[in-house]
Amino acid sequence: MSDTIASPSTRRLAREQGVDIDALARKLGRTTISAEDISGSARPAASAGDTSYWDVDHSQYGPVTKEPMSRFAQVASKNLAAAQALIPAVTHHERADVSAIEALRKSWKAEAQARGVKLTALAFHVAALSRALRAFPRFNASLTPDGEDLVLKDYVHIGIAVDTPHGLMVPVIRDADRKGLWQIGAEIADLAGRAQARKVRQDEMGGASMTITNLGGIGGTAFTPIVNPPEVAILGITRTETVTHWDGDTPRPVPMVPLDLSYDHRVINGADAARFMTHYAGLIADPRNMLV
Amino acid sequence: MTDTTDLLVIGAGPGGYACAFRAADLGLSVTLVDARDRLGGVCLNEGCIPSKALLHAAEIIREAQHMADWGITFGKPKLDLDALRAKKDEIVGHLTGGLTGLAGRRKVTTLQGKATLTGPNSAEIEGTQIRFDKAVIAVGSAPVQLPGWPEDDRIWDSTSALELRDVPKTLAIVGGGIIGLEMATVYCALGAEVTVVELADQIAPGADPQAVAILRDAQEAEGITIHTGTQVTEVTTTKATVTLTCTGAFEGQIKAKAVIQSVGRRANGDKVGAEAAGLSVSDRGVIEADATGATDVPSIFAIGDVTGNPMLAHRATHQGHIAAEVIAGHRAALETTLIPSVAYTSPELAWVGLTEAQAKAEGRNVKATSFPWAASGRNLASGGRDGLTKLVYDPATNRLLGASIVGRNAGELLAEVTLAIEMGARLDDIGLTIHAHPTLSETIAFAAERALGTLTDL
Ligand SMILES: Cc1cc2nc3c(=O)[nH]c(=O)nc-3n(C[C@H](O)[C@H](O)[C@H](O)COP(=O)(O)OP(=O)(O)OC[C@H]3O[C@@H](n4cnc5c(N)ncnc54)[C@H](O)[C@@H]3O)c2cc1C
Repeated sequence: MSDTIASPSTRRLAREQGVDIDALARKLGRTTISAEDISGSARPAASAGDTSYWDVDHSQYGPVTKEPMSRFAQVASKNLAAAQALIPAVTHHERADVSAIEALRKSWKAEAQARGVKLTALAFHVAALSRALRAFPRFNASLTPDGEDLVLKDYVHIGIAVDTPHGLMVPVIRDADRKGLWQIGAEIADLAGRAQARKVRQDEMGGASMTITNLGGIGGTAFTPIVNPPEVAILGITRTETVTHWDGDTPRPVPMVPLDLSYDHRVINGADAARFMTHYAGLIADPRNMLV
Repeated sequence: MTDTTDLLVIGAGPGGYACAFRAADLGLSVTLVDARDRLGGVCLNEGCIPSKALLHAAEIIREAQHMADWGITFGKPKLDLDALRAKKDEIVGHLTGGLTGLAGRRKVTTLQGKATLTGPNSAEIEGTQIRFDKAVIAVGSAPVQLPGWPEDDRIWDSTSALELRDVPKTLAIVGGGIIGLEMATVYCALGAEVTVVELADQIAPGADPQAVAILRDAQEAEGITIHTGTQVTEVTTTKATVTLTCTGAFEGQIKAKAVIQSVGRRANGDKVGAEAAGLSVSDRGVIEADATGATDVPSIFAIGDVTGNPMLAHRATHQGHIAAEVIAGHRAALETTLIPSVAYTSPELAWVGLTEAQAKAEGRNVKATSFPWAASGRNLASGGRDGLTKLVYDPATNRLLGASIVGRNAGELLAEVTLAIEMGARLDDIGLTIHAHPTLSETIAFAAERALGTLTDL
């Protein structure tokens, strides 16, 4: 006889739902398992709260068609919902002067062509972020699920969110802090290209220190990305804009890139985030700082 | 000609027909085949039901005798064996006929004939080939015949004993398990002088010794002679008697006009061509099946007595339902190990779950509490004699783990404790549940209260 107390109907429900009743009892630290525990254990983290009012027959208002969510999209939506519901996240807004980066990219154009590498602004962001993470180790960390330990990482891998026809994919550039701009540029092009064709291997995803999500090529002035756990922060980038900068009485046009850092407030507080982004903006504004 | 069916169920006993009916209710096309010309298997035709009919008659005879104590005297009962047999057959006929109706309503095809598997998806029934997606083997069991015994019309098995050929003046019953004790109860009341010989050192082996002692005293008080720890070494026949030579606790000879062999039942797994389908059958005739009824061959399931002990109708029925559900694509399995046992003797003996002896063997710490029926108002007021309700529980949590009940209607009372164990009830739950007064069911609550120290009836 099992030591777990559960009525016959509860045991049948558990079997139907594929729940191991003894394992569930151990996990919950209980001797008795009820039917509610079983339905609870099988319910996705996403649907906390009452969503019955979402269940609307839309066709009563006009013509509709239905398309199934792919397996991939369903998993992603569950994970996003869990991240949004469980992480107390704050988004910090900043912008950085990209004049120097733009000048460098122009002057290296010929060399880029010769190397066959397109040196994008994103390559500079990956380089800058990897250096910033070395300077601020708490941003390169993960909280254990029980919230009892912070795991600090002695490596820097940067995830790049790539928009593909089958959904969002996040391939990772390993050891970005030890790579130069040309190599980073080449790897971004390779991974992004293969992501479009869904040819990124499982071992080329996961394990990132932080993720960059870049809408710069499309538009936008700011957004609030959702942290991608177990990472503790995510950096959003929107389209560079020429703003008026005042040197004393003299107005000067300066191209500035908007930056949005969403971070897990359990690990990072607001002052740290502000310092981190000031440092980061400094690396972008004067890439020579990346060398020191 | 080859017939095809989703599901072929071989054997129409309580396992087979329950499986066939459940599968049909779940939308499968089902063929149910049995070698005999009536549905119901051993249980309805030569087991549970005819034995209970005869036990009822025996109980009335005994009750009538005991009423002399109450100032009511009946004459010596006049036995019309033909009428009694006809009554029993009428009850069996009513029930098996009912099953035929239930099969028809569900559009289950019923065939009569011996089925032999010829492969993992085919069988032969009296020359007709049948192809199936899945088959369930529910061919039951048959009485064990002891080796070295002579062929003789006066040596019966349970089937011949239930035919009620006559009431022998002296009857020896070899095997003091449930079936042997029930036969002793019947034939003793009908007027035979009964001797029971049992190899183990108690009758109803496996049951709680304290409860069994009460049953034994009652049977001996009725005039049944019981020899436990005794082995029959030789059987000889003369024109007048069958003679059993015994060694062990009882040394000597027993002479009887008839003998019933009730030393257990052997699974029928080797009588259905199982090997041709790729199945292995143990030397005890058992076909191994898991908690879903699945065997080593994916298309073939096995349920009921053919899967081994305990050989009981209600186990077969539950296994049948599970197998049907699994075959219909549901997730199901026999989750429970709680299979109640009832001897419909006088008094009845019923038990379920852990006994103290089993707990000890498993190294599990348990405690027992009991309530003697001599203190039950309802028992005394309805002419009941000695009885006992005993509960086995976990002393750390008070959770109920097992029960043994001996006394009138013990089999009916057992359902409460079986449900209580399934639901994980503690003694407190039972004690705090109001039981009607005066009832025999109160003895269960009283036993619980006794352990809790809240009893005021003792
Ligand atoms: C005297 C007596 C009293 C009993 N009292 C009780 C009781 O009170 N409570 C209780 O729970 N149990 C009792 N039992 C046990 C009970 O009868 C069995 O446990 C039960 O019948 C098992 O059911 P089953 O479906 O496994 O097979 P069975 O009932 O044995 O049925 C098997 C069927 O398969 C058929 N068959 C066999 N081989 C083939 C073949 N090759 N082709 C076609 N058909 C085949 C047989 O003809 C038979 O009808 C008693 C048994 C006996 C003998």
